[in-house]
Amino acid sequence: MSLKICWLDELPKAQEAARKAQKPILLDFYNPQ
Amino acid sequence: MGAVTYPKEEVARFVDYNFIPVQIQVSNTALMQQYAVSWTPTILVLDADGKEHYRTVGFLSPEEFIAAFRVGKGRYFLDLEQFPEAVAMFDEVLQSPATANIAAEALFFRAVAQYKESHDPKPLRAAYETLKAQYPDTEWARRAEPYKLIPA
Repeated sequence: MSLKICWLDELPKAQEAARKAQKPILLDFYNPQ
Repeated sequence: MGAVTYPKEEVARFVDYNFIPVQIQVSNTALMQQYAVSWTPTILVLDADGKEHYRTVGFLSPEEFIAAFRVGKGRYFLDLEQFPEAVAMFDEVLQSPATANIAAEALFFRAVAQYKESHDPKPLRAAYETLKAQYPDTEWARRAEPYKLIPA
């Protein structure tokens, strides 16, 4: 099974995870259509 | 991005190792306005406080994406004054496939990080020489032009 990006869907969750992991956030604004 | 770049395993591995990834739809107008985003794809590098350190607009191939966001992570480290980590990220760009403009950006900011760490301006002069020789048609070669006045 291939590795896939596990996107979060809320910025506050990403900020909390970034603080814990001491990593930057990659924020992708996208149009699903 | 979702059809070509993100499904690539090397991209997924790179993102997983280096970032906390979050996707926000354009229907989230509050965040679109907060970050002044008017076109997609727009991809930002933020710190844990939500402060922006880097952005790209438009499609990137898998190779371009990895190179660009190595620069993005380097810029994040640079802004956080983690200079050795910044230099290491810019070195990764320079040791891997990258377009001339992305490699030139990495060279430019590598010199900035070295200068800010050491307060020795020689890396800036060296970057100017390298940019002029290897990437003369990039905007980064032009931005480094003043560094030719620094004694070698």
